[in-house]
Amino acid sequence: MPDRELTYEDLLQIVELIKSTSHFSEFRLKVGDIEVSLRRSGGVAPPAQPAQSNDAAHAPVPAPHKRDKRQFPEGVHLVRSPMVGTFYRAPQPGQPAFVEVGQPVEPDTTVCIIEVMKLMNSIPAGASGVVKEIVADNTSAVEYGEVLMVIEPR
Amino acid sequence: MKHFDFVDVTLRDAHQCLWSTRMTTAMMTPILGAIDRVGYSYINILGGAVFDVCVRYLHENPWERVKLLCSRLATPCDALTRGQSLYTFELFPDDIVALNARVLAKRGVKVLTVYDALNDNRNLESSVTAGHAAGMKVNGWMTYTLSPVHTDAYYVERAKELIKLKVDFLCIKDPTGLLTPERGRTLFPAVVKAAGKIPVQLHSHCQSGLAPQVYEVAMQSGFRAGYTASEPLANGASLPATEEINDRARRLGLGTSMNVTALKEVAGYFRWLCEREGKPCGRVAQYDAALYEHQIPGGMVSNLRYQLETMKLEHRMPEILEEVAQVRRDLGYPIVVSPFAQYVVTQATLNVVQGERYKTIPDEIRKYAAGYYGRLAAKPSDEFLEKLNLKSSEIVTERPGEHIEPWIARLRAELGVAASDEELLLAAFYDKPLLEPLRKPAPEYQFRTTPLHELVSWLGARRDIEHAHIRFAGTEMTFSA
Repeated sequence: MPDRELTYEDLLQIVELIKSTSHFSEFRLKVGDIEVSLRRSGGVAPPAQPAQSNDAAHAPVPAPHKRDKRQFPEGVHLVRSPMVGTFYRAPQPGQPAFVEVGQPVEPDTTVCIIEVMKLMNSIPAGASGVVKEIVADNTSAVEYGEVLMVIEPR
Repeated sequence: MKHFDFVDVTLRDAHQCLWSTRMTTAMMTPILGAIDRVGYSYINILGGAVFDVCVRYLHENPWERVKLLCSRLATPCDALTRGQSLYTFELFPDDIVALNARVLAKRGVKVLTVYDALNDNRNLESSVTAGHAAGMKVNGWMTYTLSPVHTDAYYVERAKELIKLKVDFLCIKDPTGLLTPERGRTLFPAVVKAAGKIPVQLHSHCQSGLAPQVYEVAMQSGFRAGYTASEPLANGASLPATEEINDRARRLGLGTSMNVTALKEVAGYFRWLCEREGKPCGRVAQYDAALYEHQIPGGMVSNLRYQLETMKLEHRMPEILEEVAQVRRDLGYPIVVSPFAQYVVTQATLNVVQGERYKTIPDEIRKYAAGYYGRLAAKPSDEFLEKLNLKSSEIVTERPGEHIEPWIARLRAELGVAASDEELLLAAFYDKPLLEPLRKPAPEYQFRTTPLHELVSWLGARRDIEHAHIRFAGTEMTFSA
């Protein structure tokens, strides 16, 4: 058995030296009782660091698609998104939508959910009337102030 | 001679803070023998984020990790849960909380540590009872924050509640590193006095750079243990280094059981692991006065910047951080930890973007204000309550666990009698598709390693090397592609 063990400090130094000389095809190191010699295939760059875990938080977020500036008839009430977020028509996937076209609503009737930074925001109709049109697509990204629904006032 | 004990967080909170919780079981197993020799009183191996990241990102069965670590470590292991919320931010019924305690005990956990992000100790009642019934010791945490209502008297009250629940240890947890030596000098003796014979511990992060001094004040005030991490994975957003706190304890004339040789081996391994995995080591943080205003943990600031960039709102970050302090006051001083950190930040963003306070209030904040998650530290502001307009039917005054029906009977019926308790709990926490990848077989774990062994496997993994020759003392080896 060797009287001195290779330490993690030695290891880190050796690895650092190997990495910093990766453009050479030959590597020889002799420090005290340690000897390392390497031959590389043509002195190519070392492989990249181990792939970082595919963290969902760093996944690219699709840009909210721009809708055409649509004109809405005067006198209707427009339900707009309070924030950049995701539009949901139902409280849970697979459940019935909060409202359908033709349905009467009161000002405090929840008509959809906008998810903002992982929190759910119930959006009220804001006027009494009948749902005339659902403008945004379910689960789509919506922008601040974007029209989500059209309410025909009563 | 008075003694100061250590609880290790290297396998849990240290990599949660520095590596987004991405330490795999395979990275832990080779060094368990040395960690065992250090002389820790307990080793913390599990927490909410570890459990969740195991399932969602590492595709490891967290129950298997718990069993493996508990069986390999002679030092007793400690598991942390969020009380009634266990590993998530939802509330679970009492029967699930109790089953979780039994499963942890069966898998070898000796100490169940629990906390509630609102410091509503009613959310810990079911865990304490179930933990004791399962034969574990129970450690009750109080979460520290800065606000006009979180006074020394407030924490003494919380300590008395925990003692009434018959916890075996008490701990002050400072998730954002807000404690200062000055505050420690009044708060710590008050809590130690209230605790009587029950040992008090400190768990503080290093974002403000003050934690090592705060630990010293804790030792002088009669605290009996501190949570620390191996030096390469200590400091910054993590906890203080075991090495440094051990030195400070000895300088204060306290006895410790730390084996310095074993500590050195553990630190060497983790320093190498940072290099091998391309992950950061902890760095000592500079004092940051702004931290005391917004109180947002470091990890969350970078996450917020990223979220604002995707919404093209990054230029409003300073306004949003300022609004965070206002929202926190209006909401009755929630502690800026998960999940309430996200609530406060999102509400502040909504307020700034809409140019009007509380025009839109997220449903979760509504539930929080109604008492659904537990008691608030202080009454919310009139402006906020007026906009919120809570109906009396929404208001919850009883213990949060009480309004949730038992689940086990339903889950048993769904999963069949053959399902294990572990499977039943996973099904309670996660949707089926998330559990599918957990079926893959665990890798062959390596239970020891040496620097020479690491060098050889590192060289072996590099495809650019076609021939290597290593000679070290009596060892000589050659390998060719």
